[in-house]
Amino acid sequence: MAESLLSARGVSVRFGGLVAVNGVDLDLSAGELVGIIGPNGAGKTTFFHTLSGVLKPTEGRLVVAGDDLTGRAPHVYAAHGVARTFQTPRVFRDMGAGDNVRFALEFAGRLRKHKHDAFDDVETILGFLGLAEAAAVPAGALTPARQRLLEIGVALGARPRVLLLDEVAAGLTQTELDATAQLIRKVRDELGVAVIWIEHAVRVLMNTVERVVVLHQGAKIADGDPRVVAKLPAVIEAYLGDEAAAVSVAA
Amino acid sequence: MNGRGKRRVPLALAITLGCGALLATLPWVLSDFLLALALSCLMYAALAVSWSMFCGPTHYLSLATSAFFGLGAYVTAWGLESMPYGLAVLGGGLLGAAFAALIGLAVLHLRGAYFAVITFGLTELTLHSITYVEKTTFETAGRIISDAPETPVIYWTVLALTLLAVATAIVVRASRLGFALAGIGGDEERAQTLGVNTRRVKVIAFALSAFFPGALGAAMAVRWTYIEPMSVFNPFIGFQTVLIAMVGGAHTLLGPILSSVFFSLLTEFLRLRFPYAFLIVLGLLLVVLVLYLPGGLASLFLRRARTHG
Amino acid sequence: MGFWLELAASGLITGGIYAMVAIGLNLQYGLMRIMNISHGEFLMLGAYLTWLAHTTFKLNPIVSLPLVAIALFALGLAVYRLCFRRIARAAATVEIIEARSLLVGFGLMYLVQNAVYLIWGADLRGYSFMADPVEIAGARFMANRLLVFGFAVAASLGLLALLRWTMIGKAVRAMMQSPTGAQLVGVDTEVLHPLVFGAGLALAGVAGGLLSMVYEISPSMGEPYTITALIVITLGGLGSAIGSLVGGFILGLVEAFGMHFTSPSLKMVLSYGVLVAVLLARPRGLFAR
Repeated sequence: MAESLLSARGVSVRFGGLVAVNGVDLDLSAGELVGIIGPNGAGKTTFFHTLSGVLKPTEGRLVVAGDDLTGRAPHVYAAHGVARTFQTPRVFRDMGAGDNVRFALEFAGRLRKHKHDAFDDVETILGFLGLAEAAAVPAGALTPARQRLLEIGVALGARPRVLLLDEVAAGLTQTELDATAQLIRKVRDELGVAVIWIEHAVRVLMNTVERVVVLHQGAKIADGDPRVVAKLPAVIEAYLGDEAAAVSVAA
Repeated sequence: MNGRGKRRVPLALAITLGCGALLATLPWVLSDFLLALALSCLMYAALAVSWSMFCGPTHYLSLATSAFFGLGAYVTAWGLESMPYGLAVLGGGLLGAAFAALIGLAVLHLRGAYFAVITFGLTELTLHSITYVEKTTFETAGRIISDAPETPVIYWTVLALTLLAVATAIVVRASRLGFALAGIGGDEERAQTLGVNTRRVKVIAFALSAFFPGALGAAMAVRWTYIEPMSVFNPFIGFQTVLIAMVGGAHTLLGPILSSVFFSLLTEFLRLRFPYAFLIVLGLLLVVLVLYLPGGLASLFLRRARTHG
Repeated sequence: MGFWLELAASGLITGGIYAMVAIGLNLQYGLMRIMNISHGEFLMLGAYLTWLAHTTFKLNPIVSLPLVAIALFALGLAVYRLCFRRIARAAATVEIIEARSLLVGFGLMYLVQNAVYLIWGADLRGYSFMADPVEIAGARFMANRLLVFGFAVAASLGLLALLRWTMIGKAVRAMMQSPTGAQLVGVDTEVLHPLVFGAGLALAGVAGGLLSMVYEISPSMGEPYTITALIVITLGGLGSAIGSLVGGFILGLVEAFGMHFTSPSLKMVLSYGVLVAVLLARPRGLFAR
């Protein structure tokens, strides 16, 4: 059986009286390409924060590659092979794009081994993303779309086993969307990195991933094959407030 | 930053050493007054460079320099009779670093403003603590320094510390530590998710940068014949350090060095004649600078300087 | 019994002053993220103005208080306009506003303190006012200290009432909670910010005036109050005026009793120790929202 990379058990996050994430279980095995969808406010990004150590869950356990990392700092998660992007691309704006990737290689990347050579240097990673000629450009000067790509490159520089992608498709045209989806598949297929992908562009996600998890008001309401999940009444109902998404889910 | 920077390190170190050799000849060349001036320049250069080492890339605002300096001075005050001067200087540096590490562990997780405020109170706090200890344990208000070394010795010691500070700054900037600090300054949480143990990095860098004011305090203490807390824990030292670094540009290496020469000269000439007026001018200068040239003078020359809009 | 009452009372009296100074700084920082490290210098200015009015014009200090308030309010408007407004406009993030306003405050501190040194010298100044003892419940207090306490509490409560029940107060609280929301509803930051800044300085000035009735004054008297105000804000929580009120009294009491059991020279160590302890346990303050 494929090795279990990441396991979340009963993860809840409470802010005062507000429950952002409610008892979510998730298992991720090596080589999986999983999507997370859900209407606005479903707790998806907050859940990512717990998966990467940015937020300590109020309840629940997080096990990464066999080690219980519940409550540990983000750098420990990074050392165990969890890399992520953020909803709004966060790069080191005053450093060149190449140096951004080098940063990941120097720190998280140095702590980790990976069998794939793609992770060995800045040029290869940038090339993989089509950013080779931007190496010296300050990251803050790149367009938002390219910053997003750079963020993925930086995440790869950390030599991850698991890549958490948070809404990489926002503001892209259809062509760019498809290209991004292909890139994500490439990351999994060629580099062997397991991916969890949060996305609002539901249709593209459903066509790319093999498994989808649906969050609604902080709780998991579905987990399985996209074609099956898309037809579940609970899922369609959750999206009824979000008509455009509901249409694409049902399609 | 990292790959290209590394190649320049040996050259920069060589230049530093060369300048140091030149400066070492000054005790034979300059009058007592000018030597004292040179001493002051060196001291502030070392203070500004070591301050910028940590605060430059991370954008923390440390107002603690005077506290470390005073502590170092007291190592000399307490220890000069039982140990050689060099050892006291080293001790002052180590005490400064240890104290910074302790405080840093407690408060470096705070955002910039709270951190600055805490370091601001630190001088006052250390001053009162030392006063208390002196009064209760040693039953004395101040101490007399006897056996002070000759001025050239003091000068060479401070010169050595300055060269060490500059060399450390050069090495750190090109090292992993410097890279981590730049990441922390850029986006600390991002740096954490990329594998940097930011707490440890910050404490280490903060302690490293505090070694120098501590050692300098110990070195300069012998220039007073009578030491008491009020004279040695002088907040002006911290103020001047911040001003120099701000004017020169805390994110550069050369900026604080050049700026410290300018300010030492300015201070020495004006302080005796207009003790309060010139402090007013300095205060005004800091205000104007922050408002109109936040990146310091260096930002006028460097195109890649940090200016946040 | 009388002794403990006196000790507690002296703690509350100091605490009242702390509360006043802290509320002013809290409003400035909570609303505008301006960490005005020169706040204490304006307390000192208020003290000097009151002393000056008393010695030169034979003006009763109590009468001076509202005058000091007005003078420092006006000064606050000017200082905001000249120094801090530009920072708020030019800075891209909150951290930068904080950092730059800190540095500006640092510069202002040296400016104001040394201007006073220049004009009046470093000697302690003072005057005697209502220094007669009064007896209440077996404990003896100086009349002027009771007066200070009364005024400080009245001013603090007055400000709290203002914040809670007037339109301006509500606007301030709204802005502190949600700047964009408040602006959408029509609250004008261009008007509000200078007003709040001025009010903060006015409070500090009045506190200084009150202090001048009881203690001797010197150009360097302000700094410890800045530090203490920051400690109180941390204790009480940023943005919470009530927190500053309660925190001020708590700190005053801690200091009074702490000093009694250890030593008066450890006053700063005690309050500082409280600050570090609180920050270690609750990084955002005791009452932070």
